[in-house]
Amino acid sequence: MTNKKKYEGNDMIVTVDVDKIYPNGCHALKKVTTNIQRGEVVVIIGPSGSGKSTYLRTLNQLETITSGEIIVDGVKMYGGETNINKLRENIGMVFQSFNLFPHLSVKENVMLAPLKVTGRSKAEVILEAEALLTRVGLAEKMDIYPSHLSGGQQQRVAIARALAMKPDMMLFDEPTSALDPEMVGEVLDVMKSLAAEGMTMVVVTHEMGFANEVADRVIFMEDGALLVDDIPENIFGKVANHPRLQKFLSNIL
Amino acid sequence: MNEKSNKLKWHLLFIFTIGLLAAGIYSASQSINYKWQWHLVWPYIVDTAPIDIIAQSDASAAINAEGEITLTYDNGDPDTIITNASEVLVYDGDLIFEGDLVARSESIKSGLLIDGLYMTLKISVISLFFSIVIGLMTALMRISDNPFSKNLSILYIEVIRGTPLLVQIFIVYFFLGTIFDLDRFTAGVVALSVFTGAYVAEILRSGIQSISAGQMEAARSLGMTYPKAMMYVILPQAFKRTLPPMAGQLINLIKDSSLVSVISITDLTKAGREVVSGSFATFEVWFTVAALYLLLTSTLSWAIQRIEKRLATND
Repeated sequence: MTNKKKYEGNDMIVTVDVDKIYPNGCHALKKVTTNIQRGEVVVIIGPSGSGKSTYLRTLNQLETITSGEIIVDGVKMYGGETNINKLRENIGMVFQSFNLFPHLSVKENVMLAPLKVTGRSKAEVILEAEALLTRVGLAEKMDIYPSHLSGGQQQRVAIARALAMKPDMMLFDEPTSALDPEMVGEVLDVMKSLAAEGMTMVVVTHEMGFANEVADRVIFMEDGALLVDDIPENIFGKVANHPRLQKFLSNIL
Repeated sequence: MNEKSNKLKWHLLFIFTIGLLAAGIYSASQSINYKWQWHLVWPYIVDTAPIDIIAQSDASAAINAEGEITLTYDNGDPDTIITNASEVLVYDGDLIFEGDLVARSESIKSGLLIDGLYMTLKISVISLFFSIVIGLMTALMRISDNPFSKNLSILYIEVIRGTPLLVQIFIVYFFLGTIFDLDRFTAGVVALSVFTGAYVAEILRSGIQSISAGQMEAARSLGMTYPKAMMYVILPQAFKRTLPPMAGQLINLIKDSSLVSVISITDLTKAGREVVSGSFATFEVWFTVAALYLLLTSTLSWAIQRIEKRLATND
């Protein structure tokens, strides 16, 4: 079960005392502090409304924070001179609802950002897109429009699209929650292969099997606070140490 | 089979009803002793009146075997050679005085109504372009977080939608036109574009806002800037979704262009009025004018349907 990697010891994502209060007064994140290291796979679990998706979305500034500090790859995310678009190129994100661009074919979905953001040559981008789509098992679907694909296929395209920008880290926001049960496996397989290659990954999910098997660390959040941050063995093996985690796991397993 | 014959029945009823309607119009006009004279309209569609050829100054005429007339001017101007005369009104060797009618030549020109149709088409196409540009800019300002852009666009939309187009045309022509020295045509284009732009803005805004927020998030998460995400991800989808209401608004633009006739632009409507006063064929002319408008609007609506069908292949 344990396939722990050796860390080089350098931090990829550092979050210090991150607070998020919505204008309506809802306190979504409370002093969240944690470090995620290069090559680490961190799975965030917790009940709905616990702030785990909100936390994930602050890591590429889809949500702003009220106070605290987030440092990604050595760059302060909320520094005055930070180019957020430059930073985001390095942070791939996969959404629960896929969010593929419906007016573009599968291949064009993958090619859009490399073409329009980095301005690389079209021939090169086409080759890379084809390689990525082959890798996620969609070589035959390249010229099809997303609406003709199953959920699992769409999510694999979304992963390929994020990878096309050659990011150093990937954020997954409940990537399998919108899928039919029989399609969850194909998406998790792609994610596992990414983890095996040493991609830094932060994954919000309810797939406890995935967490147990692939994660280097599991974070349990509740009510906007980071309650438990531990290796999977301790999370799933010694639940008795954490009564609220035990209650959560017994509810969903 | 049964269903087919059933449908046929209704088709026949439709044709019968239309026939009845036409007969009704005809008999109604009979009851007021109206005499239909459709041939009076024809010259205003295709103008076949011959052109008079008039001597520019005193000259002497010579006619050769091919029927060509050569005018040799007394004052030494280069000779005029008339080769296309359909009717020759001088004899060989005649002395011609300035202003004399020398000959007539056949000509086929577009009639007044077709000229008006062309003007309507021209003013509509130019206004259509500008109204989409104005509408797009206003829509983007309307959805921005910046209070300046937002309030400016709301003010513009509310003012334009809250006042009649006819009044706007007068204001643009008499007020702005006087200040900025605009000619009639420019004033007409400005009034129509600004008016239609406000409606296009609202259509586009609703289209942009109907695209799920996840599309913008996905685009931004890939490192695209807001303008790029708008241009490559949101707007293509919004344009497609707004095509049906947009078609309606652009058809309205063509019809609204008839109001520019009040500032003496000879569009189809003004041409219609002029033709009525020249021919007295009131009913025929207005039916013709209506048919010509219908030709423009149905062409546009057909074109937009074609675009819609082509884009629909993605879903």
